[in-house]
Amino acid sequence: MRRPAGGGWNMNWQNVKLIFLREVRDQLRDRRTLFMIFVLPLLMYPLLGMSILQVSQFLREQPTKILMVNLPQLADLPPLLIDDHFNPQWLSDPTQQHLFDLLLTNENDTPATIPDQAATEEKIRRAIQNDEYQAAVVFPADFAQQLQRFRIQLRQRSGSAAQTREAEPAVPNPFIYCNTANEKSHLAYTRLSNLLRAWADAVAKQNLKDSQLPELAARPFEFQRQDVSEPQQRTAAMWSKILPFVLLLWALTGAFYPAVDLCAGEKERGTLETLLCSPAQRSEIVTGKLFTVMLFSMMTSILNLLSMGLTGALVIAHLPAADEAARLGVPPLVSQLWLVLALVPVSALFGALCIALAAFARSTREGQYYLMPLVLVTLPLVILPMGPGMELNLGNSLIPLTGLVLLLRSLLEGSYLAALPYIPIVVGVTLLCCLMAVRWAIEQFNKESVLFRESERLDVSLWLRHLVRDRSDTPTAAEALACGILILMISFFMGFAISAPANFGDYFKIIVVTQLVVVLTPAALMTVMFTRSPKQTLLLRWPVWWTLSAAVLLAVAFEPIILVLRVAVEQLYPLSPAAVAVQESMQKALGEAPNLGWVILLLGLVPAICEELAFRGFILSGFRHLGHKWRAIVLSSLFFAITHWMFQQSVIACLLGAVIAFIAVQTGSIVPGMLFHFTHNSLLLISAEFSEQPRFQKFFIWLSEKQYIYSWWIFGMGVIVTCLLLLKFGSLSYRKTEEEALQEAIDRQVAEVPG
Amino acid sequence: MIHARQLTKFYADLRRGQFVALDQVSFNALPGQIYGLLGPNGAGKTTALRILSTMLRPSSGSASVNGCDVVTQPALVRRQIGFVSANTAVYDRMTAREMVEYFGRLHGMHEEHLQARMEELFTRLQMNDIRDLLGSKMSTGMKQKVSIARAIIHDPPVVIFDEATVGLDVLVARALLNTVAELREHGKCIIFSTHIMREAEKLCDRIAIIHRGSILAEGGLDELLDRHQQRDLEELFFQLISLHDETEPVNR
Repeated sequence: MRRPAGGGWNMNWQNVKLIFLREVRDQLRDRRTLFMIFVLPLLMYPLLGMSILQVSQFLREQPTKILMVNLPQLADLPPLLIDDHFNPQWLSDPTQQHLFDLLLTNENDTPATIPDQAATEEKIRRAIQNDEYQAAVVFPADFAQQLQRFRIQLRQRSGSAAQTREAEPAVPNPFIYCNTANEKSHLAYTRLSNLLRAWADAVAKQNLKDSQLPELAARPFEFQRQDVSEPQQRTAAMWSKILPFVLLLWALTGAFYPAVDLCAGEKERGTLETLLCSPAQRSEIVTGKLFTVMLFSMMTSILNLLSMGLTGALVIAHLPAADEAARLGVPPLVSQLWLVLALVPVSALFGALCIALAAFARSTREGQYYLMPLVLVTLPLVILPMGPGMELNLGNSLIPLTGLVLLLRSLLEGSYLAALPYIPIVVGVTLLCCLMAVRWAIEQFNKESVLFRESERLDVSLWLRHLVRDRSDTPTAAEALACGILILMISFFMGFAISAPANFGDYFKIIVVTQLVVVLTPAALMTVMFTRSPKQTLLLRWPVWWTLSAAVLLAVAFEPIILVLRVAVEQLYPLSPAAVAVQESMQKALGEAPNLGWVILLLGLVPAICEELAFRGFILSGFRHLGHKWRAIVLSSLFFAITHWMFQQSVIACLLGAVIAFIAVQTGSIVPGMLFHFTHNSLLLISAEFSEQPRFQKFFIWLSEKQYIYSWWIFGMGVIVTCLLLLKFGSLSYRKTEEEALQEAIDRQVAEVPG
Repeated sequence: MIHARQLTKFYADLRRGQFVALDQVSFNALPGQIYGLLGPNGAGKTTALRILSTMLRPSSGSASVNGCDVVTQPALVRRQIGFVSANTAVYDRMTAREMVEYFGRLHGMHEEHLQARMEELFTRLQMNDIRDLLGSKMSTGMKQKVSIARAIIHDPPVVIFDEATVGLDVLVARALLNTVAELREHGKCIIFSTHIMREAEKLCDRIAIIHRGSILAEGGLDELLDRHQQRDLEELFFQLISLHDETEPVNR
């Protein structure tokens, strides 16, 4: 019986199942795993809940001290204080009267005896910062007097038919002093401001009444809330804010520790080598372990959520201060099902990431150190949906993890119709990330340097000397990655040093310096230092003649497609006002160029040389040592895209980078790619110049004041010619790297099962 | 059965630069023969055997096991070898039976055949009393028996022992050597690496003396002793190594 036994995805699923069952059984025989996954969640939350309930009965909020200065005595107005306490009428909860401990200044002080305002202010500031009291309410000395004058004038005005010309007296505003850096002071301020607002409303109503005006004059109508949600929907909405975040966090934690044990732990115990010399392929081993980690990730998440949810709902309902909103109850069954469903791709993604990191570790202790970077990367993506204004839309659904959290929230809230269009996108993005993570994990298991890594003492000078001394003709993948990161970092910091160009001269200098210093120099230096053959590294060889004209033609044919994509991307991710302002300042600077030729030289030729040498020269050459041509193309395009910084441009740049990298690989030369790049950039500039001219109108369609695309017939032709040319380039037999040739040979092998 | 041609393996070491672990090593091993790799620690024995078992790839050169190339057909090679070394441990939380069964299933053995083969092996290797003992509770000798059973459960034509007697006491080591000899009688092609002269003398039909990645001499025991005019293997070994150290630089 023959069955494919190559690398990649030709797996024997029987082996995967065997490895999965063995690993699960092994983990379940480990007391630590059983404790962490089953016992801890079942015990931890009830114990925590019991502690909270026990402690809550002793919790008593301490009263806040408030200083009242110049308290106004207004006989015919509702009193602010009664018996030296706040009038309970102004409190939202009258029982909270005891929370205010008032300090009153001497009521008989006349304005002459009150110290000057500045001194009083300074004294109050110091006192609050020293925590002598948490807040102070200071009424200006003439507050009562001015208020009384205002009320008299109001009464007179309402009684008299003739309008008086007397100016309205300005009632001075009282001040509330507080320290917002201190939580207690801030809370005191919030309570005080609500209370004083209620009193001010009452004073206003009394004023109207005394002026024989109806109370409704100040507020003739009020909006009344009619809540159309059902109670279980409100419960689901409450849970939708917490559960997705907690689910992802537990999924990550639940994945990490089994992954460390299954990979780094096996290395430590010596059983990994036993497994590696079995017929199971690396991909089968990784997949079997991945399913194990997924299972435990899901179990951890579900058990913790169940235990936390039940305990939380019971405890909150029994807390003394619980109100209706806090009575969460158990999440609805449908919500629970959505959570379980979402757990599958989440566990797969975290499982693959954890396995890849754990495979890199030499021991379980080292493996645990890698948890923190993983948390730092994933946590912002999980917290981002909690930000204001974050809603599920086409743009956000493309962000890994963030889109999933937003989708989950929508589903938990019951907004199925609104969520439906985004389900395929979120699932697609998540699956893609899973596949990439699994691929990375398999890569780690294929690397000898990872599987048999020995401890080294890091010596930077030795390491640099080794890089130079032991360099090969072309850079390694790690060197390509380092070059990409170096370019990004220099570009990032350079961005702070550069201001918006005032004229074309400035703009010219900025572009030339950026391209030479940021893009070309790192690649050129690394080529000289870390490779033996700059010619091979930078693909400095002359290609077959027809590829040069084909590259130019491809750029021309691709242009209409690019314009349509640009419009689509800007619809999906509209430019922010700041980005628009930057673009406009650049357009203005470009407008001052002597002629179009200078602009094409600056924005066409310079990037075509510098960026191609860097991204399709050094970086692509390095990534090709990964053993897969397309992986090299995608990675080099990603770095090319990110250097464009503005997201909308990056998306287009990624696609262009992939096409140019493909041409470079197929032709084995940098020259066609440079021609493509130059032609593309120049055409963009030329079309921007000529699209507004009446005699060229028939070639363009204006979608808005600033957005245009080519006519649809030009677009159609462009698509056809692009496809044909790409196929033509694809038919070229290209020079493979050793790793690519080896990988191809391994993928082709077929396993004969011994008879 | 096993053919290694100009096998070379080098590593990039920060201090030593390019460190050559194997330098154009060539040898052939045939069925019904025990081929010994004799050398001190760091000679390159484990590297060579890891290449044959497909855990490492050679930097240059080639090797084949029963006609399958170790680089381009690793899955096929692994089906035809059993590998036992000091680094291949047993699972702490599996019993002997479970572990041998697991690897038998990974080799695609049918259940009936697997059970019959397990019975035969457990009897031959005197493992019936440790059948249901967890790995963590086994002695070193028991673990070694389980490793051997695991390695030959699928009856491979080639069996590789990489310093398999390291850490074993005299009795257990002797039992292992007897097992290796029995496998030869069953027509297996065996590669046996060791740094213990006595083991190589007693067991191996052909011996390759390896030092700092190079094979210094190769042949049958008597042939080697005659060729180099030495009385025993130990003298021969030291003579060859001294000569090599005088003529070759320490680091490559």
